[in-house]
Amino acid sequence: MMLDKILASFISDLKTFYRSKGTLFWTLAFPVMLILIFGAIFSGVGDIEYELHVQNLDDSEQSLSHQFIQALENTGVIKIVNVSKDADIDSYMDENDIKRLLVIPGNYSETIIASQYPNVTVSVNLSFHYDQSEQQTNQVVKNIISNVVRSMNMGISGGTEIIGIEDIETISGEFSFIDFFLPGMIGFTIMQTCIYGSIERNTRLRKDGILRKLLTTPITRSEWILSKMLFQLFLSFLSAFLIIMVGILVYGLSIHINLLVIILIVATSFLFTGLGMLIGRFVRDEESAGMAGGAITFPMMFLAGTFFPLEQMPEFLQTFAKILPLYYVNEGLRNAMIYLKTDDALFHSIVVLIFASVFFIAGLLLTKWKED
Amino acid sequence: MGFLMADKTVQCPKCSQKITISGNPGEIIKATCPSCGNKGRVTFKKIVKKDDIAIEVSKLRKVYGDLVAVNDITFSIRRGEVFAFLGPNGAGKTTTVEMIESIRQPMGGTIKILGKDISTSFDDVKEKIGILPQEFRSFERLTVKETLEFFSKLYKKRASINVIIDAMDLRDQKNKLYMDLSGGLKQRVGVAIALVNDPEIVFLDEPTTGLDPKARREVWAVIASLRDEGKTVFLTTHYMEEAEFLADHIAIIHKGNIIAEGSLEELINKYGQGSILHIKKCKTKDAARILKENGFNVNTKNNGDIEIKIDFKERVLEILSILRHECIDYDSIDIRCSNLEEVFLHLTGARLSEEAYDAR
Repeated sequence: MMLDKILASFISDLKTFYRSKGTLFWTLAFPVMLILIFGAIFSGVGDIEYELHVQNLDDSEQSLSHQFIQALENTGVIKIVNVSKDADIDSYMDENDIKRLLVIPGNYSETIIASQYPNVTVSVNLSFHYDQSEQQTNQVVKNIISNVVRSMNMGISGGTEIIGIEDIETISGEFSFIDFFLPGMIGFTIMQTCIYGSIERNTRLRKDGILRKLLTTPITRSEWILSKMLFQLFLSFLSAFLIIMVGILVYGLSIHINLLVIILIVATSFLFTGLGMLIGRFVRDEESAGMAGGAITFPMMFLAGTFFPLEQMPEFLQTFAKILPLYYVNEGLRNAMIYLKTDDALFHSIVVLIFASVFFIAGLLLTKWKED
Repeated sequence: MGFLMADKTVQCPKCSQKITISGNPGEIIKATCPSCGNKGRVTFKKIVKKDDIAIEVSKLRKVYGDLVAVNDITFSIRRGEVFAFLGPNGAGKTTTVEMIESIRQPMGGTIKILGKDISTSFDDVKEKIGILPQEFRSFERLTVKETLEFFSKLYKKRASINVIIDAMDLRDQKNKLYMDLSGGLKQRVGVAIALVNDPEIVFLDEPTTGLDPKARREVWAVIASLRDEGKTVFLTTHYMEEAEFLADHIAIIHKGNIIAEGSLEELINKYGQGSILHIKKCKTKDAARILKENGFNVNTKNNGDIEIKIDFKERVLEILSILRHECIDYDSIDIRCSNLEEVFLHLTGARLSEEAYDAR
């Protein structure tokens, strides 16, 4: 019977959700739009010229490698930066924050000349070093190199692969903006959905007499809140899934889903639903509900390190940020999903769980259906 | 069951053809007009033991600061009757009904519903009552059918949704979103929601406030059908005519006190001025004297009009006979009966709130 009531309420919420274009937009489309906009601004998506560092180890007299480099430049979208033959690739990329680098081996010209002799099968591999944090741009550059290589192979052997490309992924300590931004966006979206959902639902249902009506039906307050919480969790996971998919498909991010991520999403949903219930307890009308929600979410959104790292803020604001629950949500998700710093993620998860327990229990205790 | 069967003659609302239908008390029979094929429902009144008490309120009290909203009121409602709780805005109607519905906490007194004290047994009572709160609006983006299904699933006892939809004449609207319905239809859905558990008692808190006259009549028809089904209806209203039209039992509340209680007839007999026959523009000088000599209570107005208090309806014919016999000349005659408005005016010295009249 209890499950019946909870399920009935969940289904009603689901129908109401998909029939409300505004809610659909703000819950699902808006976070995706934000990611795309911020991603485009900070990741350089849309550049028309890509920088490619090239270490040319080919020093034969024929210097066929120069033709290849010239062909790359002729595409008009690649800007070549020459790297010294002595440079250690990993250190060079790490120290100079280089995201991609092409190494032309010393036997390049030699191999191509050898391939012209009959009955001789030779090949040479170019090494394409890249940093995983900018996979999308790297993929574009690699496609350009592949096209040039294909043309060269056609010219040399009629299509037989004499020149090949070998991918070498470099592990970089540096992460791009989108790596930083995406977990923050998940935290921010869950916060928005839960706080606004909770405040608006409570004020609207109170105004429309639905809470008074429910009070006279056999559904208990616990069953009702549980059903709303389940729906809120569904929305949180749905929006997190959507944001993660955009991260993977559009930005090629390497995102790790583990138990801590799940715990953080669940705890965050309880935390902000509880906070919403607390605010809803004191806000009587719908107009004030929006403003009260904004008063809580706006400062938290900017101060808790959602859009930019805390280090960029003055010290007193950094200290202030650390009392905001969203800060721990964002940091926890980053550490658990992207940076894989399990110890830090665990600490942040525990803080979020404590915040969630306090706010949700307070929300439960202070929310009442009965009129004075 | 057969020995209880009764015949009922109804008129087809489409072609006015009279049809006789047989049915048992409490039965709802689907009927088709033989002339035009119009389909409808005929409800046979339930036989209810009117002596059973459905709601018993004793010394109920609620105070907000210095304001005594409800002042130790006592009343009881019998099963199967439509009880109208009448009073102007702010009189304490909603506070009272919400204490009975357990939405508000009383500060004193006891409330029993179907014999159970709600302070200890309200959970048992919930399954047997249906409530339409004041200014109720349901979930905007659920259809009528989905709304009824949702509320129905909250109860153990569930009435057939399709029967309720038919009974409330919501068939054409069942797949429409609640937000797209007119005010009258929304109130009908509200009443339908109150019926999803086939309750014994239905509470309707100002169900017609803000509705246009046509929509109000539609809701009245629905409430009348609830009475026919044998349900006890607790109706709060500030519309006199609503109470007059629907109620078997009326309590008038004013400033937190019940100032009068009884059937419409009892209230009018006790507090009304009776019926007045009004002779307009009487041109015969001795008319008042002649009527007085015949034992009538006559009041002469400055404009020549004469008002005569009628104690028994038979006396109307007597007056008409005198007017004719004495060749008394006049423009027109009308008879004005006492109503609840007059009762309220008599008891409080004031009319009901302006809002009540504006909304008519």
